[in-house]
Parts: sequence; structure tokens; C-alpha cells
Amino acid sequence: MVNVLVSTVATSPASTSTTSRRFNAQSLTPWIGLVILLSLWTGSVHAFAIPSYILPTPAAVLSALWSGIAVSPTNALGYYIPLWSTLSNAAIGFFIGVALGLVLGSLMAESRIVERLLMPYAFALQSLPKVAIAPLVVIWFGFGDGSKIAIAALLAFFPVLINSFTGLRAIEPERIDLMRSLSATRFETYRIVKLPNAAPFIFAGLDMAVVYALLGTIVAEFLGAQRGMGVVITQAQAVSDVAGVFAALAILGVCGIVLHGLVRWLERSVVHWADRNKH
Amino acid sequence: MSLHENIEAGSPGGAVNARTLIALEDVSKTYATASGGGVHALDSVSLEIRDGEFVCVVGPSGCGKSTMLRLLAGLDSCEQGNLAMDGEPILGPSPRVGVVFQAANLLPWLNVRENVRLPLRVGGRHMSAEDRVDALLAMTGLGDFGQRYPYELSGGMQQRAGICRALARDPEVLLMDEPFGALDALTRERMNLELQRIWQANRKTILLITHSISEAIFLADRVIVMSARPGRILKELPVNIPRPRSFDEIISHPDYKPLAREIRTLLTGQETANG
Repeated sequence: MVNVLVSTVATSPASTSTTSRRFNAQSLTPWIGLVILLSLWTGSVHAFAIPSYILPTPAAVLSALWSGIAVSPTNALGYYIPLWSTLSNAAIGFFIGVALGLVLGSLMAESRIVERLLMPYAFALQSLPKVAIAPLVVIWFGFGDGSKIAIAALLAFFPVLINSFTGLRAIEPERIDLMRSLSATRFETYRIVKLPNAAPFIFAGLDMAVVYALLGTIVAEFLGAQRGMGVVITQAQAVSDVAGVFAALAILGVCGIVLHGLVRWLERSVVHWADRNKH
Repeated sequence: MSLHENIEAGSPGGAVNARTLIALEDVSKTYATASGGGVHALDSVSLEIRDGEFVCVVGPSGCGKSTMLRLLAGLDSCEQGNLAMDGEPILGPSPRVGVVFQAANLLPWLNVRENVRLPLRVGGRHMSAEDRVDALLAMTGLGDFGQRYPYELSGGMQQRAGICRALARDPEVLLMDEPFGALDALTRERMNLELQRIWQANRKTILLITHSISEAIFLADRVIVMSARPGRILKELPVNIPRPRSFDEIISHPDYKPLAREIRTLLTGQETANG
């Protein structure tokens, strides 16, 4: 063991530098893709003389982006107020959907009766395009934040429900035997063994849920709202400001990437044992 | 609750005159299979294990060895026969029994310390017992590894942690289901030596299931040879080789070769009988 430790310490500086170099090269590749895409985009807009109300140049999108960003955060024409509205509603919806999905998924995994009671409807609802329910939700909850939160929660709910159910059932029988041999209670088995075991599944669900919550909020805003990035998009569209639409989409894209990254970071720090416990 | 309260000089068959602790009487077990049939795993097995005795069970794959262990651990019930511990029927898991599982079966999200302490904080127990955990880890040479996670440990160290966990409640009986089967030969021999030392220091009653004839002879006071499915006891062979045993000495002991040959003959006879 001592030898192993010594050799690890001795080789670690070299291996760290190679991995960081490789990491840099790998993280550069998507940017090269972006540069190629933007060049092709600019080139074809000029070459085919495409009018700006169909496809604006990247430069026009960038200037629209800048006019939304380079303002005071309280400016009603900037992105900050609508973005805050969209993100806060998406976050509230996300947490409600995740909590409900986790609780119902756990009940379904623990009880055959609850499973038989809910599973057919859960799958029926899952296969329904939930965006199509959005108009109904707006009728019930109005044009305010309520309907945005409700649709975000609805969309976030299903991936968490299905993934937590699947993960909680995917437990090795030996682990259950261990807890039974210790006369552990059902809740102890759930908390100490089943829930951590399901964590990789649940995080996969959270990863989907965070993007769906954002999507749900935007859809609700499309259907009629006073605030939010969805409203920014519909208003820009109404005046054929296609560059403005692109700029708002770019902001949402960045939000999606950041949220996805946050979930992945959280997963790596919580589920530190995954893929490393196979000896 | 000292770990070393019963240190005795290891004498051969030290438990010969002790009381019977575990008794199986005419036990049969059939498992239902998915196809609707049944697997006849055990067929009228009778066995008595004395207090402080080290018993090894060898037999071909699928001979019901594990079934026997699950019945004794209270994880399964049998449809025929009686299982008793101290005269009381075994109806479910008992704190007097510790189970060591195949391939350690540690929880990867808990560190070694938390894994070993697990039996002390579930099942209506809320003991802190840090001293006891420390003593167990020190006894198995894991003193410096309490904060490590199972994936940072070698297979042998993982199984040592598994043994610590089984000993956490200071049970009278240890049931071990092929605990060292996944280890390489050298690590396995080292683990056998350690297990012998732990057993001599603590005087638990141990039932260990193994595929290895040499492991069985090295560890056991008595070797139980079982037949292929349905599992029956073919023969019980006492091992009267003085302790503490070492691998070098045991091979040259006059009893070793005849014992090994007899067990091998019994097992190979089984294999040819079953095609």
C-alpha cells in the first residue's frame, strides 16, 4: 500500500499536466465549431442576399444582444427583468415538480398498490405531449406567474418520477439482504441504501427536469404573459425583429447550458462513488 | 464488550466439549422459479454446530450451501424441518448472528468507518460506539483507512471491512458466504491467516462456505462436504491439526493429504455422477 501511495504521488504532477493540456484542447474544439458556423452563416447571408427579416447576420444578432445586455438592470427594455422572471418561475416550478416526482416515485417504488394505482396514468400522461396541455393550464391558473410555475412543474415532474422509480427499484438484492440481516426498518433501508443507490438515476432525471422547467415557463409565456423571455421573443417576432429573436434564444441557450452544467457539477460532488466502485 | 475477552490458546478442536449452539434438523428447501417449477435446493439436512466451533462447508456450485446460510441468517424460511439457535427456533434475522457477504457488499456511498458502524445505527440501535469501531478497524489493520471509500480499497481490504461490519454488534455467530472467493490466491491465504487470528481472539462460532478445499482444511475444526442439488450432507470430516496453523506447516502435516484427497474424491464423485 505504501508503495502504491508513493508511486501515485510521484507520477501525479506529470499526469495532471497531460490531462489539463488534453482538457484545454478538448474544450477548444466546440469553439472552433462555433467559429466555422458563424463564418458560414455570415458568408451565406451575404452571398445569397438574404433579407434581415428572414435571417439576420451574426453581427446584427450580436448588436441586438448587446443592446439588451448593456443597459441598467432595471431598464424595462433590457434582458434582466424578463430573464429574472423566467428563471425564478422556472426554478419554483422545478423544485415543486422535483419534490412531487421524488415523493410519488418513492411511493410507487415502495408499494405495489401505489404502483398499480398510478403507473398506467403516469405512463399515459408521460406519452402525452404536455405542451399541448399548456392552454388548459393557462385557463385554470390565468396569465400570471401561476400558470408558468404550473407548466414548469408539470414538465419537470415526469422525468424525476420515472427516473426515481426506476432507480429505487434497481437495487442489488445483496444490499437488501444486508439491511434485512441487520433488522433495519423500511425507512432505514430506503434512506441508507435505496435512495443513494438511485442517486445516479435521479440526477439523470434532474438533468432533464431543469431544461424542461425552463421550456415549460417559456411556453406559458408564449401563450400570453406580461413578463419573461417568452414575451421578449413574441414581441420581437411581432415587429419582425428576427435579430432580437435570435438574441433572446442565445440568452436562453446559455441559461440551458449553465443549468445543465450546474446539475452535472452537483451530481459529480454528490455521487462521487459512481463508476469507481467496481473492483 | 472487549474484543479480546476470551483469548485462549488455540487447541485443536477447542470446542469439542462445548454446548450445541446451532442445530438444523431434517431441513428441506425448495425455491419457486419464474417458470413455475421448483428448485430443490436442500434435502433433509441435519447438522449441529457447537459453541465456538469453526465449521467449513464445501460443495459443488449450486449445492444449496448458500441456501443453508440464508436459512441460518433468517433471510429465508424453510418449508420442512427445524432450525434452532440455543434451542430457540430461528424465525428471522437476529443480532446474535453476523453475516459476511460475498465480495464484501459494502455500501459505496459510505466510507469504511460508516460501513462498519452501520449495524450500530439501524434496527432500533443508535449507539455511537466509536471506540468499538476503532478497535475493530485496528484489529483488521484498517486503522488508517476509516475515512476512505470502498472504491479506494483493494478487494482484501474491502472484505476485512465486511468482517468488521459483521462483528460490530459482537454477535456469537459469524456466517460467511464464500467471503474470499473473489480474491487472488496470495491475498486469500493472508485473509485466512487473519480470520484464524480473529477467530482465536474472539471465539465466535463460524460457519464458512467455500469452494476451496485447502481453505476449508486450513480454517475448519470440521469440514462438511455437500452433494450437488438437491443439497445433502455427504460427510463430516473433523480436522485435528493443531492451531495456530500456517500454510507451510499444514501441507506437511500427515493428516492434510488424506483429508484433501477424501474431500476431492467426494466432490469429483459428485461431478461425474451428475455428468
